[in-house]
Amino acid sequence: MLLSLPALHLQTSEYHPLFQLPHRRLGPWCSPTGSPAPLSCETGCGEGSWILVCRLLVPTQVSLLSMEEDIDTRKINNSFLRDHSYATEADIISTVEFNHTGELLATGDKGGRVVIFQREQESKNQVHRRGEYNVYSTFQSHEPEFDYLKSLEIEEKINKIRWLPQQNAAYFLLSTNDKTVKLWKVSERDKRPEGYNLKDEEGRLRDPATITTLRVPVLRPMDLMVEATPRRVFANAHTYHINSISVNSDYETYMSADDLRINLWNFEITNQSFNIVDIKPANMEELTEVITAAEFHPHHCNTFVYSSSKGTIRLCDMRASALCDRHTKFFEEPEDPSNRSFFSEIISSISDVKFSHSGRYIMTRDYLTVKVWDLNMENRPIETYQVHDYLRSKLCSLYENDCIFDKFECVWNGSDSVIMTGSYNNFFRMFDRNTKRDVTLEASRENSKPRAILKPRKVCVGGKRRKDEISVDSLDFSKKILHTAWHPSENIIAVAATNNLYIFQDKVN
Amino acid sequence: MEFKLEAHRIVSISLGKIYNSRVQRGGIKLHKNLLVSLVLRSARQVYLSDPCPSLYLAGHPGAPALPQQPGESVAGPPAGWGEPPPPAACAAWPEPEPQLELPAVPEVPRAGDAEPAATVTGAGDTLQGGEAEAAEAAWRRVEGPRETAVGGSDVFPQGFGAARRPCGCPPGDEDKMSASPRVDGCCAPRPAGPEPPVPPLVCPRKRGAEGVGGGPADFPAPGSTPLKKPRRNSEEQPGGAAAAAAQEEEEMETGNVANLISIFGSSFSGLLRKSPGGGREEAEGEESGPEAAEPGQICCDKPVLRDINPWSTAIVAF
Repeated sequence: MLLSLPALHLQTSEYHPLFQLPHRRLGPWCSPTGSPAPLSCETGCGEGSWILVCRLLVPTQVSLLSMEEDIDTRKINNSFLRDHSYATEADIISTVEFNHTGELLATGDKGGRVVIFQREQESKNQVHRRGEYNVYSTFQSHEPEFDYLKSLEIEEKINKIRWLPQQNAAYFLLSTNDKTVKLWKVSERDKRPEGYNLKDEEGRLRDPATITTLRVPVLRPMDLMVEATPRRVFANAHTYHINSISVNSDYETYMSADDLRINLWNFEITNQSFNIVDIKPANMEELTEVITAAEFHPHHCNTFVYSSSKGTIRLCDMRASALCDRHTKFFEEPEDPSNRSFFSEIISSISDVKFSHSGRYIMTRDYLTVKVWDLNMENRPIETYQVHDYLRSKLCSLYENDCIFDKFECVWNGSDSVIMTGSYNNFFRMFDRNTKRDVTLEASRENSKPRAILKPRKVCVGGKRRKDEISVDSLDFSKKILHTAWHPSENIIAVAATNNLYIFQDKVN
Repeated sequence: MEFKLEAHRIVSISLGKIYNSRVQRGGIKLHKNLLVSLVLRSARQVYLSDPCPSLYLAGHPGAPALPQQPGESVAGPPAGWGEPPPPAACAAWPEPEPQLELPAVPEVPRAGDAEPAATVTGAGDTLQGGEAEAAEAAWRRVEGPRETAVGGSDVFPQGFGAARRPCGCPPGDEDKMSASPRVDGCCAPRPAGPEPPVPPLVCPRKRGAEGVGGGPADFPAPGSTPLKKPRRNSEEQPGGAAAAAAQEEEEMETGNVANLISIFGSSFSGLLRKSPGGGREEAEGEESGPEAAEPGQICCDKPVLRDINPWSTAIVAF
């Protein structure tokens, strides 16, 4: 039985220009019935042994801004948020990313907010609660802007979030919208100074005549408060829409890629960036392809790849020249002429490119397939997986309703043995590269009981539909899973379905 | 034949997408518009290479429906330009085609004029001149005796020129900017010189007010009078359509559609630039130089793009 999911709301005890929200460890989202043992990555894609850990709703603006809520309001919010049909467009999750340890999970949404979830710590008393994620911090990263010169509105939607590796007690992440990249510092504060001479406890200045003693303020513990501050703003470097950011393995630089250019930044310098790729033709009439995604190599700080709308991937070495317009390697698979249609170019456009953790392979996602490439072989991928080939005959309808332009992401698991990507109808697919088995799972409220094992789904393409199968025509194309993330070392996945964030983990028997 | 229908439909949809992308929040997305323009090109190529245009017309379910209803067809396009109802679109499509049968011949030389002018390198001025000339002639002929059914053929160059009349108005900044060089020729309502950002904002609103058929309403935008003419033309046409011979349709094909297509083809890269908002982005931010530098190409593409089908539906609609 699905327990009612309480609305997430964070009360602010005092208003502060920085987003200081008192940290509240809320109750469990679901009542656990099993004890998840430490999971290893060797369990593979589970063949049906994935369980729902929790379903999280991004807190809406309404609840964020309310200063105080009594029980009644909370109840109203409960029912308000639980009903999916009331989800506003601003709540649609647009990016999901685990940090390097997997302890934190960041989501960005169309309203420009970033919500960070933290994993419940394992404790002796409540060992069964480990593995759940609760809200750790929420802040407004980007606001809508208006470019007066071009008469353009700049959306506040967060396109990508990338974490920096942790180097001190604070966490750092990069978040970007179409035009501006920001570096945010998320830190905890659990002590505050008390006992000022000149100020009283509320912060009001005291009448100097009443001060007769001298004392030194002492730090006293307080409720844990998580604050997010923007440390750097990297703006005005992109004419076109930023689609990717990637932190370099040197932890000092990162790159941001838009449709035609890629810029290299130093974290410390916000008023300058270096342009390292520029594919803008001198005559825009000759434009034939755009950059769709870019990523640095996980270990070699001089190497990066970028994918194009033509289905090609270029690997570049920054040691070769300052402007990496000439690629070092060029990955392209010749097109299959039998599959040619009006929409061949659209479905061959790569929507995401990811290096494997080992750095040996890259994975690309185009509309219908996921491909794994070996960096040492440029003429074709080593593996191709069909995500939803049954859509090939429906491309015209998908073109009409714009679904063909959806940009699905793809992720590796920690050991690079399983890859995962999303599909429609809230389905997501996992492919085990070793066993060549694949599974289709669904992230939906109706079918997911907490701790219940997810049932593999199947789409039937024609002919007789078996009992548990779903036919292609009854797929809901408005429910799409574009963004997923996999914990860096454990079998925990985060799946974003519109405004819901599902967290599943592999149940080890 | 099915390919042609399909191609036609895809072209309509693509044009609708390009049009709608102008009013999207966040600015025009270069990637999406580039992909849409590629689809547009593929569909155009299929349309051109389809070997049985006569079959298309004769066997078309919409054709018999032609004679009676402007009304019904009107209902069609307003229903949604973004999702152009195929029957209405198809119904409208054969209309101009039979219209073009007769004037096809006299049009050919004109088309011929425009054609080489349109090809590739900068014959911008020539093209401009040719088109303006065609536009003027078209208008003249439209007002002239209807029985020549030249209105039909004028439909294309007329639409061509006419669409360039509100030239600033249309889909994008690049058109606006491209219009500036020939503002004297076509654009009565347009101010000469560099366009302030206001006109493009104004135009979309106007177009929006006209509803779905707004895009092609570029054409009727300058006034209601021109609207009536094409409508009368279209009403006249079906009579002519009935008598259309395959050969004439062929001519029509080559005469006008091919004219357009060749203009497309010659500056297809312009198509790419136009539609993907590469051009738009250009207009919005970077250099207005290239656009102004190739007025010929710019000039044709966008209005012609619009003209292919929604144009014909718009005629009926208005």
